[in-house]
Amino acid sequence: MTVKAQHNSDIISLIQNQGMDDHMASLRYAGIIQKALMPDPESLKGLFKDYFVLFLPRDIVSGDFYYTFSNRQHLFVAAGDCTGHGVPGALLSILGISFLNEIVQSKSDPKANRILNLMREKVMKALHQTGERAVTKDSIDIGLCIIDYRTGKFQYSGANRPLIRMRNGELDEFKADKMTIGLAPLAEQPFTNVIIDTEHGDSFYLFSDGFADQFGEITDKKFKHKHLKRVIISMAGHSMAQQRDILRSTFNDWKGNTQQIDDVLIFGFQI
Amino acid sequence: MKLTAFRIRNFRSIVDTGWQSLSPDNITCLIGQNESGKTSVLEAMKVFYTGIISEDILRSDLSLPEVSCRFSIPEGWLLKVTDNPGTELKELLSGLTHIELTRVWIADLSSVIIVSGEISQYLDSLEDAWRIYLGDVTVKLEQELSIISENEKKLTGLAAQESEIKSKIQPHESKSKGFLWFGKKTAESDSVTDGLTADLKNQLAEIRRKKEQISADLLGKQSMKKAGETWHKLFDKFIMLDNHLAELSVKLEERHQKMTLLMRPVDDEDDQEWRSTLNDYRKTRSERDLKKAELDRHIALSGYIMAGSTEEEAEKKVNEIIQSYKSQYNSEILGRKYFEYCPVFELFEDFGSLLPNRIDMEDIITGNDQVEGYKAARNFLSIAQLDYSFFQQPSSRILKQKIENLNNTLTRNFQDFWQQSIGRNNKIHIQFELDHYSAAYGDKAGKPYLEFWIKDEGERLYPKQRSRGVRWFLSFYMELKAAANINKQMVLLVDEPGVSLHARAQEDVLKVFEDIKDTIQVIYTTHSPHLVEINKLHRVLAAQRDDLDSLRSATRILDPFQLSAASPDTLSPLQSILGNPAASEGFSSKKFNLIVNDTGSFYILNAIIILTGFRGKISVIPSTNVSSIPLLCNILMGWGLDFAVLLFENEQENKMREVLKETVFKTDNSGRNMIISIPGTFYNAEDLLSTLDFKNFILKNRQGITIANSEYVSEKDMPRNFMFSKFLAEVKSGVIKLTDFDEETLENFRQVIDTFKGLK
Repeated sequence: MTVKAQHNSDIISLIQNQGMDDHMASLRYAGIIQKALMPDPESLKGLFKDYFVLFLPRDIVSGDFYYTFSNRQHLFVAAGDCTGHGVPGALLSILGISFLNEIVQSKSDPKANRILNLMREKVMKALHQTGERAVTKDSIDIGLCIIDYRTGKFQYSGANRPLIRMRNGELDEFKADKMTIGLAPLAEQPFTNVIIDTEHGDSFYLFSDGFADQFGEITDKKFKHKHLKRVIISMAGHSMAQQRDILRSTFNDWKGNTQQIDDVLIFGFQI
Repeated sequence: MKLTAFRIRNFRSIVDTGWQSLSPDNITCLIGQNESGKTSVLEAMKVFYTGIISEDILRSDLSLPEVSCRFSIPEGWLLKVTDNPGTELKELLSGLTHIELTRVWIADLSSVIIVSGEISQYLDSLEDAWRIYLGDVTVKLEQELSIISENEKKLTGLAAQESEIKSKIQPHESKSKGFLWFGKKTAESDSVTDGLTADLKNQLAEIRRKKEQISADLLGKQSMKKAGETWHKLFDKFIMLDNHLAELSVKLEERHQKMTLLMRPVDDEDDQEWRSTLNDYRKTRSERDLKKAELDRHIALSGYIMAGSTEEEAEKKVNEIIQSYKSQYNSEILGRKYFEYCPVFELFEDFGSLLPNRIDMEDIITGNDQVEGYKAARNFLSIAQLDYSFFQQPSSRILKQKIENLNNTLTRNFQDFWQQSIGRNNKIHIQFELDHYSAAYGDKAGKPYLEFWIKDEGERLYPKQRSRGVRWFLSFYMELKAAANINKQMVLLVDEPGVSLHARAQEDVLKVFEDIKDTIQVIYTTHSPHLVEINKLHRVLAAQRDDLDSLRSATRILDPFQLSAASPDTLSPLQSILGNPAASEGFSSKKFNLIVNDTGSFYILNAIIILTGFRGKISVIPSTNVSSIPLLCNILMGWGLDFAVLLFENEQENKMREVLKETVFKTDNSGRNMIISIPGTFYNAEDLLSTLDFKNFILKNRQGITIANSEYVSEKDMPRNFMFSKFLAEVKSGVIKLTDFDEETLENFRQVIDTFKGLK
């Protein structure tokens, strides 16, 4: 079922379920809208050789989001993580998606870091973050990749969100700038544009911090980024769909009966 | 303490300048037409320090002046200089990094320094709480007193009723006795009379009971009554003094009015009356203030008496409550305390500060600052570390030798200054001599005077015979040296420095200011373009009248961000330099002349040239605006100079591109590219910087910007020239370096330089 069809059926079920608490109903409706703003995983098929999206919102709506946009020459892929979760995170994620759309569609020669620079300006302006008396301190952490279809040039820029590349069973991590999209304690500096060499069959992973920050039922400790990388290495050779299933079951096993503490998003794609 | 801002109210033509910030780099320049109020600003700041004003500074509405200065201080400094502040005040003081002091004048033209701003707001809030408390007590006191008075009235009424009833009872009793004497009364009439008497007796008993009750009540309120009587007395006295003070204020105002109109002192007879009024005013004012304090204290005391305390207990409690409501400090006490640390404000102006030819010792000793050159002579003696006793040296040989030695030392020091600051090698010798007036001088005969000489390569001349430049610099040097002797921070107020000096000498004045700015803050007025640095427009404040054609209108001060609102006449020194930003950066026959839309672009492009270290021979010529570009082109064509026009991608310049092709360059057959553009979409020169760099290095704020820099500047109506001149100054001084910019900006800079490289 496409997202659109899913959307319609969800609304119908909402209407039928009139007895539901008003707040819950509107929240669920918001969740439907949020999903509609993100690409339908089915629609990504033509863009990558293989891919998966593991998207496990903690609540009905989510502060994590993923994003793709392609034109004749470029493919933009991003995974974002807004401060907080639930409704505030979701509102910010919608803002992030709409800013990304606005920016990528206006750039003829896009540079990943400049997109993040501009996105930060937009978020700061929208949230009236002047550094003096910030109304909100909310921000978005994001990893953004641009793939040039013609030249194969792969750009990456990250705001607190790294990029992982798997090549022949080996993992490389491209560190993000320690800055966020929004107001930070220190004055804004430009994001770094990283040009990454690619080979056929390379897999890339963009993700939010929800997976690594999840506390385990047995250990009462966080899963941790290092452990996540080990899992990714261990999945090498599996199809992307299998990888999603491995990650999901790993997450659920780790979590056990404890509460999920944050939204979880991992976007893996192979080129 | 460093002076950071000032505010002047009701001073000559100034109604209220609002808070005006001084340049953070310690040199502030005031520009404006004659009579615009520039000098008034300096004078106001001077009297902030001295407190001495005369009637002529009062405005025609006779509102009294107030001058406030804001000083920056290190965090925690106030705690060091304020003994035992209470907990709340301590917390406030510990966080403050600036203080405001205000000098306020009162009707007798005496003044007080008070601390204003946050500290006084806090103290005022305490004072307000105290007033509210006293107000509440007063209301209760009035209620109590009215009850007492009502009871007293009741008592009087009851006494009257009592005597009336008594008088009624007595006849009845005597009547009964009479019947008894002369025969028996009927039983019926007896019983009526007895009933009446019994009723009267009952009434009498009731009245007496009430009387006793009220008397007991009044007895308990004796001390309250006494307090009320004292309160009334104090209050009446206070009102009387206050009314008298108001009458005297009116008299003083009349006098100010007279003086302001006459602009000279009135005759002696008037003076005596004036003096007595003045004394009366001061005495009454102090008495009124004392009475007010006494009254307040008494009200507080009455409050406790009302609550049942004895007088002794009440006294004790009043002391406690005064302490809790009233800080040991008030705005005046703290103002006085902090003012001790205030920098010295010195006004340097031609009449008093330029070295005279001769000055009487008597004038120096008596401090007669009305005599020409008084301050210069005083400075001279200060740096020579001489006092009057020096000249009482009995041996004239020793005195002459000492003077000779001092002359040599002063000369040596001045020569060092002259060479270091001005870069000249003239061998200027300073000399002073002590002499006495001859008999030909009548009254002055035999009196000592000081005579000054400036010697240059054998020629010995009086200061006034020397060039004005030498005399000015020498006098200014003496002012600086004397300032060093006072061992205090200094704000030097310089009125029209180097007026009538040659342009080069005026630039030397600026050099001296630059030299001293780390130790002495300078605020100066000028009309001269040579005394305003184009790259430092942030130093400029403009003074102009609200109505440019009326000297009766008020002075307005415009800060650097409002300069665009100033009239062309006010800005004339700036426009002179904006038209030709620097002598070395004008039209050139040796360089390629590149015309740009305006001075803002001139600053940005020059900054790029400096940052990138571009060594090509290009002289950027700013047009006054886009429409003036053809005129500039014609001039350059006429002079046969190599040039091109750099145009940006905006509507006006796109139109100009067509105009230039159609008109100016139509006749050029050289095939050169006369109109150039930088590849990419740049609406104006500031778009050559990335948004982030524009924010970091020009705007210096963190607001999100989602439009082009040039659009932002025009949307917010920002002072483009001012901001960009500051940017250029920071680039020139090395504060901003090429490595500070992001790759987006650097890429744009590369494109600019590549474009410049192609110009031949």
